[in-house]
Amino acid sequence: MTDGASAASPLFSARGVVKHYRLGKVPVPALRGVDLEVARGEVVALAGPSGSGKTTLLNLFGGLDVPDEGAVMLAGRDLGHLSEAERTRIRRKELGFVFQTFNLVPVLSARENVEYPLWIAGTGAAERRRRAEAALAAVGLDERGTHRPDQLSGGERQRVAIARALVHEPLAVLADEPTGNLDSQNGERVLDLLLRWNRETGATLLVATHDPAVLARLPRRVRLRDGAVVGDERGGGAVGDAGIAR
Amino acid sequence: MALRNLARNGRRTLISLLVVGTGTAALVLTAGFILFNFRGLEGALVHGGLAHLEVADAAAAAPGQLDRPVSDALGDWQALRARLQALPEVSAAGANVHLMGVASTPAGKSASFVAVGVEPDHERAMGFTTRVRAGSALPAAAPAEGDDAALLARGLAASLGAKPGDVVTLLALTPDGSLNALDVRVAGILTTGVQDLDTRFVKLHLATAQRLLQSSGVSDLLVMLRDGVPLDAGKRAVARAVAGHAPPLAVVDWKARAPFYDQVKNLYLGIFWFLGTVILVLVVLSASNTLLMAVLERTRELGTLRAIGTSRAQLAAIVLLEALWLGLLGGALGCLLGWGVTLAINASHLQMPPPPGAVEPIDVELALVPAAFAGTVALMLVVLAVAAVVPIARATRLRVAEALTAV
Repeated sequence: MTDGASAASPLFSARGVVKHYRLGKVPVPALRGVDLEVARGEVVALAGPSGSGKTTLLNLFGGLDVPDEGAVMLAGRDLGHLSEAERTRIRRKELGFVFQTFNLVPVLSARENVEYPLWIAGTGAAERRRRAEAALAAVGLDERGTHRPDQLSGGERQRVAIARALVHEPLAVLADEPTGNLDSQNGERVLDLLLRWNRETGATLLVATHDPAVLARLPRRVRLRDGAVVGDERGGGAVGDAGIAR
Repeated sequence: MALRNLARNGRRTLISLLVVGTGTAALVLTAGFILFNFRGLEGALVHGGLAHLEVADAAAAAPGQLDRPVSDALGDWQALRARLQALPEVSAAGANVHLMGVASTPAGKSASFVAVGVEPDHERAMGFTTRVRAGSALPAAAPAEGDDAALLARGLAASLGAKPGDVVTLLALTPDGSLNALDVRVAGILTTGVQDLDTRFVKLHLATAQRLLQSSGVSDLLVMLRDGVPLDAGKRAVARAVAGHAPPLAVVDWKARAPFYDQVKNLYLGIFWFLGTVILVLVVLSASNTLLMAVLERTRELGTLRAIGTSRAQLAAIVLLEALWLGLLGGALGCLLGWGVTLAINASHLQMPPPPGAVEPIDVELALVPAAFAGTVALMLVVLAVAAVVPIARATRLRVAEALTAV
C-alpha cells in the first residue's frame, strides 16, 4: 500500500462536491454540494434510496469519475486534478471494488479473476497464483478456483469478487450494493467477509447500500437524499470503535 | 483470454474466420497465378531464344538498341564461346546470326523474312526448344555448300506455298552492302508460338546464314547460366570474362532485351494490388464489425476492467490480441484452403486460351510459394490490426462510471 498522507488526515474527503449528469441535453443534478470525510480504517455506509447520489459519490471517491465542482481527495491527493492514467494507477494499486452484479470476467476462472489485478500490476505468475489461492481460501472458495463464474452461485461469485478486490491489499474497498443481488444468508456472509477484512487489516470500507440489514451492521451511516447529505449517524453495528479508530 | 473471448460468440467468430480465410486464400491463389505467369513468361523468353545473357558488340548493343547485325567485333567468336563455356556459372553458350531479306519460290511467290542462324547442338545444350510441326529439325553438323536447309515458320510457308522438301531462294543484303542469294531446301515447318512472327520467321544453320551473308562473323553470343546462378552474379562473371576485349563487348541480360516483360509484370501487379485492395477492404470491414460488436457487448465488462485498474494501453492490447488471433487463425485457415485449391487446380490440368499474339493454349499451374503464404498471413495480421483501430478507440474511450451501468 502506498500512503503519502499522515495517519491523522482523512483517507477520503469531499468538499463542496457537485456532479451533474446529462439526460439528453438536460443536466440532471446527482450531487449538490456534498461535504464528507472518511477516516483511515473507518467503515462507512452511504445510505439512501435510488437516485440519492450514493453510487455517484462512491464513483468519485473511487476515481471512476470527477466532480463538476468541489474537490474529492484521496490520501491528500485531489482526484479531480490527476490525469486519467494517474487515477487508473491509484485504482490499480490502492483501491478495491465490489459491485452489485459481481462483474467477474466470464471467460476467466475464479482464480484467474482474482489474479487479474495482480496481472495488470505486473506481478509474476507464481506470486500471482499463490496470492490468488490465499485470497480464495480466505473467502472459503479454495476448492472452486478452476470454476468459471457461470458455474458458481451468486453468493460464490460475490465472494470471488471480494477476493479480487482484496488480493492486492488495497487501502480501501468501495462496495456498491454488495448484497443487492444476494439472499439474506449470502448477504450476511459477504458482509462478514468485508468486516473481518476491515478488522484484520485496518483498511477502509465504503459501502453504498439501501439494505436495512446491512445498514444495521455498519458503525457509521451517511444518509443522502436528492444529492445531498441529510444525516451522518454513528454508533451501533457489528464493528465498534476499535475498527474505526485505526 | 483473447482466444476465450473469440470463442464466446462462436458463430460470429466463425464467420469472421471464414472471411479472413477466404480473403487469404484469394490472395494466395492470385499471387500463385501471377507468379506462374511471371515464371512462364520468363521461361518462354529465356528458353525461347533470348537465353540469360547476350554478348554483343558494345557499339551495336547500346541501351534500347535491339537490332544485332553481323559484326566484325565478334570475329573471334569461337574462342570467345569456348572461354565463356569454361566459366563455372555458365551451362552453355552459342552463336547467332541475325538477318532479314526476301524469300521466293520457283512458282514466283515471294515474302519478306527475318532469320536467325543458329548452332543447333549448342541450342539444344542451352535448352532452347524448336517446335517443328512438319518435316525435320536442322541437322547439328554444318551443311556442305549446296546442301543448305531452312526451317520456315508456318505462316511464311503458307504464304510461299512451301512444304518440306521444296526449295526456296533466300535473298539478303550482305554486310558490305551487296545482294546475295542462296537456294535452301525446306527441312521443316515450325511455329514460334507468336502469331505475328509465324508469318515471317526462318531458322537456318549458322553456317548457312554466314554463307548467305558472305561473312564469317556472328551477331552475338548467347549464354545460358546454370540453375541457381543469380542473373546478376552470372552477368558479372561473363562481363569479367570479356573485359578488355577489343573492340569492346557488352553483356546484356534478357530483361533488357525484352522490354515488354516489365510492362506485362507491372500490368499483372497492378491487377493484383487492385484485387488485393478490394479483398483487404472487405476483410477490414468484416473483422472491424466483429471486433466492434464484441466490444459493445462487453461494455460493462470492459468498464469493470478499467475500474479495477486496467490502463487504456492494457485494454487496447486485449482487443488488439483478439484481432491478431483472428488474423492468425483466419490466415492459417486461408493458407490451408489456398494450398488445397492450388493442388486441385494443378492436378486438373486446366488450360487457358492463347494470350493475344500467341497461338497455343497455356496450361494453368499455380505456383506454390511459401514466402507468398507467409507474406499473406503477415499482411492479414496488419489488416486485422487496422480493423481493430475503431474497436480499440471505442473500448479505451469508455467512460468508466457509465460503462459500469451498461446493460
